[in-house]
Amino acid sequence: MRKCSDYLVSQQSHFNPALYIVMNFLLEGFLQAFNLLLSGNAETYSAVWATVKVSSYSIGSSLLMGIPLGFCLGYFDFAGKKPIRTIVDTLMALPTVFIGLVVYAFLTHRGPLGNIGLLFTLPGIAIGQTILALPIVIGLSATAVESMDKKLRITIMSMGANRRQLFLSTLWESRHGILAGSIAAYGRVMTEVGISMMVGGNIKWYTRTVTTAIALETNKGQFGMGVALGLVLLAIAFCVNLSVSLLRRRY
Amino acid sequence: MDTPIYEIRSLKHSYGGQPVLSIDHLTVKQANIVGLVGPNGSGKSTLLRLLGLIERPTRGEIFFNGRRVQPFSDEARFLITMLPQEPFLMKRSVFNNVSYGLKLRRNGRNIVGKVNDALSLVGLASEDFARRPWYALSGGETQRVALAARLALKPKVLLLDEPTASVDAASAQLIKEATLRARQELGTTLIVASHDWQWLYEICDEVFHLFKGKIFGKGRETIIFGPWQRLKTGKWGKILSDNQQLQVSSPPNQEAAAVIDILSVSHDRPPTSGEDIVLSGTVSRLSLERKTGRLFATILTGDFPFNVGIAFEQVKKHTIFPGKTIFIRYRLDQIKWI
Repeated sequence: MRKCSDYLVSQQSHFNPALYIVMNFLLEGFLQAFNLLLSGNAETYSAVWATVKVSSYSIGSSLLMGIPLGFCLGYFDFAGKKPIRTIVDTLMALPTVFIGLVVYAFLTHRGPLGNIGLLFTLPGIAIGQTILALPIVIGLSATAVESMDKKLRITIMSMGANRRQLFLSTLWESRHGILAGSIAAYGRVMTEVGISMMVGGNIKWYTRTVTTAIALETNKGQFGMGVALGLVLLAIAFCVNLSVSLLRRRY
Repeated sequence: MDTPIYEIRSLKHSYGGQPVLSIDHLTVKQANIVGLVGPNGSGKSTLLRLLGLIERPTRGEIFFNGRRVQPFSDEARFLITMLPQEPFLMKRSVFNNVSYGLKLRRNGRNIVGKVNDALSLVGLASEDFARRPWYALSGGETQRVALAARLALKPKVLLLDEPTASVDAASAQLIKEATLRARQELGTTLIVASHDWQWLYEICDEVFHLFKGKIFGKGRETIIFGPWQRLKTGKWGKILSDNQQLQVSSPPNQEAAAVIDILSVSHDRPPTSGEDIVLSGTVSRLSLERKTGRLFATILTGDFPFNVGIAFEQVKKHTIFPGKTIFIRYRLDQIKWI
């Protein structure tokens, strides 16, 4: 590989060392990514498993809570709706390190929830990531419902629906918008570092996720390994989006 | 006497405090076809939404089969259905769109057969269309699927809001035929809002004319909108494009609309006295009023179309046919202002 790179560089009239370094990282990263995945590297699979597990916990709980809340926020008109909407929209931009800090403060041994023993555990990270994803799911679900065509209500009511059927049919019709919001939330959860690092502690074999592993490898100067883990993360995201895309086509 | 299928009493409806509809009393007989005509914003769609129990009137009452009803009323929600003006389908296949209402009614027996029948009523082959998703249809096909979804329910009342406004001629014809078959085969009461006057006068038992949220006539009148000007004679009116003077009585304001009832048409210019006004015009359309057997003529004077009901004998006597120039007479003191 080095010979190939040297050859390419020698062919260039103006050698750019920065570009050479980046290209080298990426090439190394691609090769290492395949190597890590195909060779069944235990450390990598442990981080992948921790990422999938913790993000599934957090996205599952935020969807369970967020979709009904978001739907109600978008569907019903009530006093205080606009201020609530503004708060939810603001919380969509919550910094992950801030959430990490707050959750850490609650879960630490001296904190109010310290006796539960969730600090430096995957469920602890999941709590933080749920706080991260929940406003996104609520906000984007509410937007999906609010942006439904007004003719939908007329159509459903004109077919003879009662109030419950109108509610459920509207929820089903807004499924694509809600799904898009869920994917956005999942993307945010999968790629965050702050919460996983602060609440999880990046403990090898236990709470090390792909993103915290990337941060560690970069600190160690193992850029190729970092790129490889990044590509693994991208592959997971691709698989999730592909599954969702197939679901969308089916329904 | 039969209970009317609809009775409206002292109905007023407003949006954001702005009144849009005000009807003191209106009845619709069972199995009748009722037309609603009027310019955009006259309240036709609002009236249909209220009759379709989509919205609750701000004030007043709507009775269906003698019982007071409102949105989600169990007495009526499975009997009334409405087709909105713009084609709209839910995000599901054609089959699932058409079967949606049947499933709501837990009308589970032979749903496939009912969907197929409804689709064929609107000229769509089930094997070609049933599995198609909602986005793989043209505008005309979408409207026909939406109509099939209503016809599958075999409703007692079908409310149609300009059903042919946004579709091509072929789709419009299929929609017209399908709605009339529903009336013939099921005795469905049809209430149709449309700008297609000729079609309405051909099919309707009654036609109501709406303007600024009020029903003010049976639709044979001609409405001419302001602004009005002082003519050289000192009277109010308009100069038509063929330089004739369309005179009116003093308008309440310059933007008021005049409702003019044509008293007679004739081959020769009739003699006039004080309040009589005579204009010459060209017959542009002649159609049959199904219920009365009278003919309905549209006469162009300048750019203004006057609508006139004419007895068949008069048409024969004056040999009235499209393209012929004839004279129309109205009286200034019979002009109504709205």
